[in-house]
Amino acid sequence: MRNPPYPTVLKPYGTALVDMASAREEIVCLSGDLTRQCEVDLFQEKIPERFIHGGMAEANMMSVAGALARKGLIPFVHTFGVFATRRPYDQIVNSIAYPRLPVRIVGFMPGVSSPGGPSHQAIEDIAIMRAIPGMTVIDVADAVQSRAAVAAIVDLPGPVYLRLKRGEIPVIFDEPHHLSLEDAQVLTEGDAVAVIACGMMIPAALAAAEVLGAAGVSVAVVNTPVLKPFPGPTVLDVARGVRAVVTAENHSVIGGLGSAVAETLATAGLGRPLRRVGLQDTFAEGAKSAPHLFRKYGLSTRDIVAAAWSALGREDPTPTVPELPVTAGEYAPV
Amino acid sequence: MPHLAAESSEVRRFADALRLEAVRMVAPHGFGYLGQALSSAELLATLYLRAYRPGVDQLVCSPGHYIIAVFAAAAQIGLVDREQLATYGFDDSALEAIGTERSPAVDLTCGSLGLGLSSGAGFALANRLKGDSDARVYVVASDGELEEGQLWEAALFAGHHHLDRLVVLLDANDSQVDGPVSSITTLEPVADKWAAFGWNTHDIDGHDVDALGDAVAAALHADRPSVIIARTSTRTGLDVLPPDADGHFIKLPPGLAREAIAELEARLA
Repeated sequence: MRNPPYPTVLKPYGTALVDMASAREEIVCLSGDLTRQCEVDLFQEKIPERFIHGGMAEANMMSVAGALARKGLIPFVHTFGVFATRRPYDQIVNSIAYPRLPVRIVGFMPGVSSPGGPSHQAIEDIAIMRAIPGMTVIDVADAVQSRAAVAAIVDLPGPVYLRLKRGEIPVIFDEPHHLSLEDAQVLTEGDAVAVIACGMMIPAALAAAEVLGAAGVSVAVVNTPVLKPFPGPTVLDVARGVRAVVTAENHSVIGGLGSAVAETLATAGLGRPLRRVGLQDTFAEGAKSAPHLFRKYGLSTRDIVAAAWSALGREDPTPTVPELPVTAGEYAPV
Repeated sequence: MPHLAAESSEVRRFADALRLEAVRMVAPHGFGYLGQALSSAELLATLYLRAYRPGVDQLVCSPGHYIIAVFAAAAQIGLVDREQLATYGFDDSALEAIGTERSPAVDLTCGSLGLGLSSGAGFALANRLKGDSDARVYVVASDGELEEGQLWEAALFAGHHHLDRLVVLLDANDSQVDGPVSSITTLEPVADKWAAFGWNTHDIDGHDVDALGDAVAAALHADRPSVIIARTSTRTGLDVLPPDADGHFIKLPPGLAREAIAELEARLA
């Protein structure tokens, strides 16, 4: 695992999909008028005969994908997370999930990583996808996991919702990397607090663990790229060994990672103070930059540190979080 | 050549047999989706006797409420066990009243309306991608579904891709839950809309088996997707129905059911 600031790469997912599709003729690629933005311009260029423009018609695109899957093809469907989930929910349920078809729905630009305002900010996509029976839901942390996700999901028998960051993708993990669909990934060991995070909150979770560690609070950081089926046993093992639990997600605290952890702890009868970092049942707003929104809506390293401090019942001043200098092409936690 | 030969008298008889099965399926419940079977009887009879090749073509029943008519038609050619029709709509039956993934005799059906044409387009596209130029895709749809935006997304998509193996059999019975479709939403000119979207259109009397036969034959030779707009009524072919019968969900108390069965049996005798 690297240290921040992280180097970034472009189109790790799009490259991996082309590599996979070159060997697997049943893979077809659909795009809802966001081809370059979803990294599948590479697919369109290399394998045009299996690239299908859905246009700005997500409902139709999902039902078409379901029918393609019924005929033995493996459709990967691409658009932004908001349009992949909100608009065609009925189609995902009836044309894809209920028949348990192997359609891979790939939603880019998660949470407030888009400064484009509520219409473009997928803040409840995990919640509504998680509620669909049989849907696998994945929110990966970096370029290495984006690439690994393609191999991990291509042969799953049922549908998948894969949530991916758009644009410059940080490289956090070392390769080769296996993305487990069964287990969570314990990134650091600790016995005071568990910080359980997914997707774009992993850098902030690791940074918070550094700050807390320096203040004498040891932190177990757990990466849960798979929100469903949720890796309960691993999360419980870690939670049993700490005094408090913090979840961190680039999503509403309702229905996503925070809810999954709360359900897991409560069902096991394991009582631990729990703080959920994420959007607090609010829409965000349009802005110039995403980091501003991460700070404004409580998704920063500082918020994770403060949540841990609160969960532990500490009343002394919260440790300060140093600003990390970042140069162009690098990615650092907010 | 997918066009199947059948005499017009045979098609009419198939349609009445379908009506009789549907009456028998609805009768034990006292009400049900009988109007859909009555309006689409000739359309489905034409499909089953003059076009559809099970195992070769794909059949989509877009409005799941029409599955009663598909079951009744499929039973005529042995695709559904006739005795099983008696279980229609009852607990634990494989023949649910609104079509589901469990429904036999169709490649796809949807209880949520307006999804079927996208699915049919997907089938046609998949056949093309896989190099199967023989298979046809038939989508049974209803005029009420034209109120759903997705259907027009699908019509644009199929038109753009010139999915010439795709045929929509549109039962334009002017019936939806709240009343006549035309009183809820103005859909006309229906044929012009489809034509503008790049479709080959046939706007005909949906109870005229000769007109239906000609339309299907033409659709199978079209260089673009085809829609057969079948103008129908939910009371056709069953004179005993009261004039104010609710076409979407017809009440069929025991006395009326007996009269209906007698009427249809007499015509088939």
